[in-house]
Amino acid sequence: MAQYYPGTSQVADNRRKFLNPDKKLEKLREISDEDVVKVLGHRAPGEEYKSVHPPLDEMDEPDDIVRELVEPIDGAKAGDRIRYIQFTDSMYFAPAHPFIRSRAYLNRYRGVDAGTLSGRQIVEARERDLEKLSKELLETEFFDPARSGIRGKTVHGHSLRLDEDGMMFDMLRRQVLNKSTGKVESVKDQIGRELDEPVVLGEPLDEKTLRNKTTIYRVDGEAYKDDKDAVEVLHHIHVSRSQGGFCPE
Amino acid sequence: MDIEVFPHRVLGADTTEKLLNGIECIEDVKRTVIQGPRLPPEDPNENPRYVERRKITVNGKEIELKVKTGRIFIEISNESTIDEVKGICNEYLPFGFDINIGKYIRTQKTVSDNIKYGDADIPDEFVGMTDQSAKLADRLTIIEKNKKDQ
Repeated sequence: MAQYYPGTSQVADNRRKFLNPDKKLEKLREISDEDVVKVLGHRAPGEEYKSVHPPLDEMDEPDDIVRELVEPIDGAKAGDRIRYIQFTDSMYFAPAHPFIRSRAYLNRYRGVDAGTLSGRQIVEARERDLEKLSKELLETEFFDPARSGIRGKTVHGHSLRLDEDGMMFDMLRRQVLNKSTGKVESVKDQIGRELDEPVVLGEPLDEKTLRNKTTIYRVDGEAYKDDKDAVEVLHHIHVSRSQGGFCPE
Repeated sequence: MDIEVFPHRVLGADTTEKLLNGIECIEDVKRTVIQGPRLPPEDPNENPRYVERRKITVNGKEIELKVKTGRIFIEISNESTIDEVKGICNEYLPFGFDINIGKYIRTQKTVSDNIKYGDADIPDEFVGMTDQSAKLADRLTIIEKNKKDQ
């Protein structure tokens, strides 16, 4: 059985939940396909997918055992462009964070390329597959409208204090809390181009729920040092790596 | 002596305006600096609904708010003023704040200042009010009535 993450804390449990592809993630909100396309900003809703090569069926590819073994994903079959979605997760108890995102994506989705940075996480895939996975990421526990941001550029904000209304700082103000409805609206696409109509991303989760769902260890939440099992495994890895690196035999 | 007001959330323009008005009313406050992440420059194509950079009015003087307020440094001379500042903060910052005592605003000219201003006679109160890459005129507002700067 795969061992996804050590530890006995709630945070460790949440991490395992994201990493294990057999676990179904809770759906928290409904966002239409069209809205996902708008937020991504790669094509206009209803527009044809642009392609970078003819469909694989029409291409004369050399014989290769791997090509026969691996079933191409839909976007690759059609020859779609590679597009991306990028997230920033606040350090204030966001549900996901870059490393967990990358590991979870690679466990859960085929044909994706995940890139991890300290404050942001990008995933690239063929356009139509990306739209499918983006919808899942936005609708499920991966995302909280206030503490996570869909940011293709100008990502700064994950380590800053939250705004007065509980939103993560965003210089471009892409996600805005609508005070009259209490819901967060995406008024711009992920790189900051204004949308004709705001896309409603739903209500922000309350503090208690976020603390239950977070995958971030924090001294004012669940401290890493209190999770004895996780620390023990980390020590074991640290010692093995140090000794193995010092004198690999 | 200086104090630093460190709100637990980053403040928007409205709260900053109220808070600064409260603080500037205190007789003992000499200089005030607001610090935080910068807001994007004015863009004529930007929809005004989503623009956060705006002018605030502090003691009747208009100031263009260029940052989202993360910290406020205040120069005072009496320790008793801290309680007054605390009272004002309690009113406008319901999410919590810290007040730290220390040295936050520079009082001596640095080498960079000497290169920047040369032999020009800069009043002591202007020293340390901006970072060295910015022009004083862009950042400094003198509130005449109470002889306070921001």
